[in-house]
Amino acid sequence: MSGVFSIDRIEDFLYQEAWLLDGKRWKEWLHLYAPDCRFWVPAWKDDHEPVDDPNTGLSFIYYDSRGGLEDRVWRAQSGMSVASTPLPRTCHQVTNVRCEEAESGRLLVRSAWSCHVFDLRAQAQHTFFGHYEHLLASDGGKLSIAEKKIFLLNDVITGFIDFYCV
Amino acid sequence: MDALARLHRLIVDDPQGKDFRVHRDVFRDPEVFDWEMRHIFEATWVFLGLESQVPSPHDYMTTFIGRHPVVVSRDGKGELHCFINSCRHRGALVCHRAFGNRKYHVCQYHGWTYDSSGRNVYLKDRDKAAYPPSFDKEDHDLVSVRKFASYRGFLFASLAADMPSLEAHLGEARWFLDLIADQGGEGVECVPGRVEFRYRGNWKMQLENAVDPYHFTSTHASYIQVLERRQKTAAADVPTSIYTNIRSAGIRRGSFAFARGHAAMWGDTPTPQARALYRSYETLVAKHGEVRARWMFNTRNLVLFPNMQIAENASLQLRVMRPLSVDATEMTLWCIGPKGEPADGRRQRIRQYEDFFNPSGLATPDDVANYEDCQSGFAARSIAWQQGYVRGFEASVAGADRFAEEIGLRPERSLIGPAELGDETAFHSCYREWLRLIDAGLRREASGSAAK
Repeated sequence: MSGVFSIDRIEDFLYQEAWLLDGKRWKEWLHLYAPDCRFWVPAWKDDHEPVDDPNTGLSFIYYDSRGGLEDRVWRAQSGMSVASTPLPRTCHQVTNVRCEEAESGRLLVRSAWSCHVFDLRAQAQHTFFGHYEHLLASDGGKLSIAEKKIFLLNDVITGFIDFYCV
Repeated sequence: MDALARLHRLIVDDPQGKDFRVHRDVFRDPEVFDWEMRHIFEATWVFLGLESQVPSPHDYMTTFIGRHPVVVSRDGKGELHCFINSCRHRGALVCHRAFGNRKYHVCQYHGWTYDSSGRNVYLKDRDKAAYPPSFDKEDHDLVSVRKFASYRGFLFASLAADMPSLEAHLGEARWFLDLIADQGGEGVECVPGRVEFRYRGNWKMQLENAVDPYHFTSTHASYIQVLERRQKTAAADVPTSIYTNIRSAGIRRGSFAFARGHAAMWGDTPTPQARALYRSYETLVAKHGEVRARWMFNTRNLVLFPNMQIAENASLQLRVMRPLSVDATEMTLWCIGPKGEPADGRRQRIRQYEDFFNPSGLATPDDVANYEDCQSGFAARSIAWQQGYVRGFEASVAGADRFAEEIGLRPERSLIGPAELGDETAFHSCYREWLRLIDAGLRREASGSAAK
């Protein structure tokens, strides 16, 4: 698959995801994900060991389908969540992108990320950062996210986190 | 005006006049925060963690009692100790990690070494030290806290010696801890994965919120809507919740106020079968009787004053509050469950927990945003008093109501009503203890300085 898709194409896909998140174009963002995708932000069980089994350890966010993400998008845009009203301004940066072949013709993409958050309510800013692992699938030349693992390295959380700031 | 007079202007507690008021300075005055540290957090019993978090010889965990960094350590014989995490020499921390296993704690500055019971066992280059004889007369062990005890695996400590026993301190609120501890044959454990967050607000916002049923339908409106949307789409792969039928008619909510600042609220659970624990329902009835088993499935939020809360509703959460300053608070959160829980039950417990709780869930962020908004509003110094703490006043009765009676509980006050009653009287016990402790501390200090 990496033979079909150049590193430029993969990087552009990750940048597109970040762009859609920061632009709050979340319906389009959801369409990057397969309906049976896994979205996983594990908590840490020790200083340098993230939870490695979502069924025996805790995660910040864990879904094994897109439905959970759709709930979150709906809630953030509902106007009924005080934490999401007003929504913060966010700026994702994705870098250090490396690809390797994975099972079933998929591509495992590792990268580093940070997200600057400007909290309009508090007029204050903070940053979350960590590593991503995207598992990408190709269907007729169109990429989709089969799985995204987000390792959040600074997990003493300022206020709260949601899908749009990790 | 002296400190005592200032203190007593902050709470109006007048049962005869049917009045209870809290002054906003309790949330915004740095002097009040200093009183709280010295006379509450560094004086009374505070919660540290679970015995099951340090299961093996030489396991340790680090936490705080007020501003004091402390270590809970299990020695080689299996006995637990709690000492202040500060080398006797120059003061450096001797334990640096949240959790670890160490037979010896070596201070990295000059090498003073302590065993896992806190005893000083080695002083680097002692034989060449040329200390005067007076040095040997001093105790060089890590400083033990004055009181340290476990109640059914829940560990508490106090920096003050003149404390009642832990059991006496917990009093009738123990019944609510028993109800957690009895859910499994071998007690409860923390699910791996600690979560911490900090919010820009006073710690008592969190203290109140845990026994505040009034905020639920407004603060968590988006969460309730998400649940209703899920029911319509009936997606099988999203978590069910005990709140799925929260709008059902006839849901009751009650509260109990206990001595020494503890409080609890409880409610009917419309869908107990949505709980992970429901798998054990028959076993629990056989072991604990129908009434206690039913109470295990009621929603229950417990506040053990000043720093611990247990919320058993959407799942089972343990919260430890650590005030950082008058307007900053750190929360440490754990999903807890019975040891030996079946794998599918544990999975369900974790999914439900993540759905509702945590700074990454669908409910807690809205609580946090509200705390921060309140703290911002407190900048209006010209407004002295909060309003509405008498909500529920006319429904509150002295002693036990029939629900307390059915479980043999003797609270100081009880209340029952429809969910919409939104009781706020459960906080009163917290503020009474708050006032009692600071009052006693300020008087102690005043008599101490008078004696000098």
